[in-house]
Parts: sequence; structure tokens; C-alpha cells
Amino acid sequence: MKCEVCSELLEEYLDGELAPQDREQVGAHLIACVECSESFAALTAEQELFARYDREIEVPPFLWTRIAAHTTNPAKRSWLASLFGKTSLAGALAVLLLALALGVIYLRSKPKTPEPKLATTTPTAPNPDPLPKSVESPAPKRDVIASHQKPRVRVKPPVARTVTDQSDVLSSDLAYLDVDEQDTALHIEQSQILLRSIKNVQISDTDEEIDVTYDKALSRRLLNENVVLRRDAEMKAKYPTKTLLADLEPFLIDIANLPDRARPQDVREIKERVQKTEIVAALLDYQDRGANNR
Amino acid sequence: MTGAFAGTLMNTSADLVTRVCQGDADAFRLIFERYSRPVISFIYDMVNDRALAEELTQETFVRAFRAIHTMRAETKLSTWLFGIARNVARESLRARARAKNHVDLADKSVMDLSDDKPVPVEGLLSKELNDLIRRSLATLDEDKRLVFTLKVLHQCSYEEIAAITGFSLAKLKTDLHRARAEMRKKISPYAGVGYEV
Repeated sequence: MKCEVCSELLEEYLDGELAPQDREQVGAHLIACVECSESFAALTAEQELFARYDREIEVPPFLWTRIAAHTTNPAKRSWLASLFGKTSLAGALAVLLLALALGVIYLRSKPKTPEPKLATTTPTAPNPDPLPKSVESPAPKRDVIASHQKPRVRVKPPVARTVTDQSDVLSSDLAYLDVDEQDTALHIEQSQILLRSIKNVQISDTDEEIDVTYDKALSRRLLNENVVLRRDAEMKAKYPTKTLLADLEPFLIDIANLPDRARPQDVREIKERVQKTEIVAALLDYQDRGANNR
Repeated sequence: MTGAFAGTLMNTSADLVTRVCQGDADAFRLIFERYSRPVISFIYDMVNDRALAEELTQETFVRAFRAIHTMRAETKLSTWLFGIARNVARESLRARARAKNHVDLADKSVMDLSDDKPVPVEGLLSKELNDLIRRSLATLDEDKRLVFTLKVLHQCSYEEIAAITGFSLAKLKTDLHRARAEMRKKISPYAGVGYEV
């Protein structure tokens, strides 16, 4: 193959869109030609750069509430929703009213005997929580739409409060990890779930093809992340992380390269390798150590 | 047989679509949870406005819900959703252009990227790199931005891009090649990837 031809096909080669025959020829040319292999390395580096792109955009929790307001069957909306017109408002209001009512009931039914005072509690310390602990807080925002149903409110018997030292509670919390470690932790978790699902896939004895469209798309995304995170780990001399990501990468490549409807033997091969190499255990171990050490 | 991962969760995309068509509202929520992030990212890539991206994502899913019963069985749900998102984003861009209000695209700082002092990629903070890519993306024309976003940032196949955009394979390859070249030109002084392909 001539360099001009190779150069024209390079982007499609990178994109994995070449026909098998062309792919082989370009691959063979890249081994032999220094110039073309340098161009390909530059293209790959460029791709890695774009893989680092983080829009820093999240799906806001209220978005589903707004969508649900347009997609929920109006007949099923609560009387409060029809009264106020806005589902989210009605739901939130219903929860609030119920919480207040239960709070009042609780306060009225509270025994008059004073709570036993603990030695560590300052008698004059104001109660930071004006509502009794027995009433659970309303559902989190993302679940507001579910508040058409009756909110689950559990009344617990009053319990003497103790003052405990919580200074170390957040020491291993995700919030204290740096951004790279959070990204890696999330990446490892998602990869582990993906590989476990491959490990657990049921393959029938017939030659029926397996739809792996979703797994493949997920693997492509994880593969891109993996390349970036592995390089970052290497640059920051985090060798155990780098080694783990390097071990993970071949699995992601293999899953990403499966056709949408994969042959059972192809899936079986990956599944067996996942089982044999114990990569899932290594990923789980990383997650456990991460929770304790980082 | 169902997909391996989806099968584990007992919810393939096809199952979810069927359930939505049968009136199962929870199934549509699962679709939203699965696809809202890629959809909002894609729309943000196209319109370069966070608040607008949220609004258009809402519009996309509302339209999807209303039209889901018309979705053909052989169509991939992600491709179909991206197609709707693309239309919604395009309509918004057209409206914005009509109102002569394309502030982000006409932002002079976007056009002057290459005048700044080059910084090696190792020296780029992730925020700087993100800003650089975002602003460079905004300088591409709509078709090129569309194919570049779908291929490079969302790893769609050419076949999927053709299905989402309605472009011929030849057009999308040309647009993608040109988009890559333009992005390279904007980014190479910073990233040190200056070369000709």
C-alpha cells in the first residue's frame, strides 16, 4: 500500500470503520512505514485529548420531574396535582403537609417525662433539629414524581439522643478523593459491573446470536476513559492503578469490537477469560481498598 | 437472547420501549435514566448553552414519549433518541440564527484561539482543555459539529451517524475529515499535535 492511500484511510482505520481487507493492509503498512505510523500515533493522541473532554454538565434532578409532568397520564394525577396544576409542586406540598401533620401528632403524643440527660450533652444546647427525628425527611428531589403515591412515613419510638464524635465519618468519603481518583473509582465500578454481566450471561446451546448492543456501547465509552485514566495513572506514578487499568483494557477492547449481535462462541470466549483471569475480583479489590485507604 | 448487561437488569431497550407502549410509566423513567446523560451532553455540544441544553433535553424526551409508539422495531433506541435530539437542537439553532442572537458562535474569543500563546498539553489544566474544546467546537459549522460530536465525542458508528443525521456516507466522511482538520488547527498550538493528515 502506498503512503497516500494509507493516509486517506487512516481516520477510518482509527474509527474502526474499514472493511477487514483494508484494515489488514493499513495495519501491515503501519508496521513498515515510520511516517504513517507517526501520523497514526498523532491521530491517536488527538483522540485521547478529545476523550478527556469533560463538559461538566450533569442531568439536573428536576429535569425528570418536568418531563414526567408532560408524560404522566393526567387521569392518574393526584387531586393535589389537578388542584395546583403542577405535579411537582403538588407532590412536594403533599409531603410537606403530611410531615407537618405527623410532627404535630408526634409532639402531642410525646410523653411528658423529661428525657434522660447524658453527661456529654450541654443542658442549654439548642436543639438543632426543630422537627422530631421520628419523621423521615421527604423523598429526595429525583423521586419527587413518585410522590403521587402515598409517602412512606415511619414513626419511630423516641430515642434518647447521644452526642457522638463524628469527626472521622467523612475521612473515607468519596468527597475527599481528588477528581482523578473519583473518576477512576467510578470507572472501575462501571467496568466491574460490565464484566460481571458478561461473566453471568447465559449462553444457550443453540447458535442463537446474543444482542450485546448496550454492552458494546458502554465498553466503547469505558475504553476511551480507560486509555486516559491509565495514562494519567502512569504519569502520576500510581502503578497499581495503571497495572489494573492495563489489565482491564483488553477486555474492554474485545467487548467494544463485538458485533451488535454477537456469536455465542465470541461471548463465551470473553466470559471464560473474565472467569479465568479473575479481573472482576481485582476490580472489586481495588474498590474495597479505595473505600478504606484513599 | 437479551443483551448481556441489559439482561442482567432485566430491561433491554427493546423491552423498555414495549413496556412504555403498554402504558408503563416506570419504563420511560428507566429510558430517561439510561439516556439522559448522553442526550444532554450531545445537545450541549450542539448548542453550547447549559440552560438551553437542559430545556432541549426536556423537549427531546417529551417528544420521544409522544412518538415512541411510532418507533420501528429494527431501530436502535439510542439512534432514535439522538435523531430527535438532533432535530430539537437544529430547530433551536435555526431560531437563534433567525433572531441573530448567536452570541456564542460570534464570540470573538472563539475566533482568536490561535493568537494565544501555545501551551503544551501537559501544562493544560483540565478546565482549560475543556474550555478550549468547547469553544473550538462552537466554531465548526452545524453539519461538521454534528458529525464530529457524534463520532469523536460519542463514539457512534458511521452507520448510526447516517441514521441520526440522514447524511450520506460520503458526506459524513467528508464533513468528519474537515471537522477533524479544523479542530486540529484550533487545538494543535496548545496540544502539540501539529501535523498534516
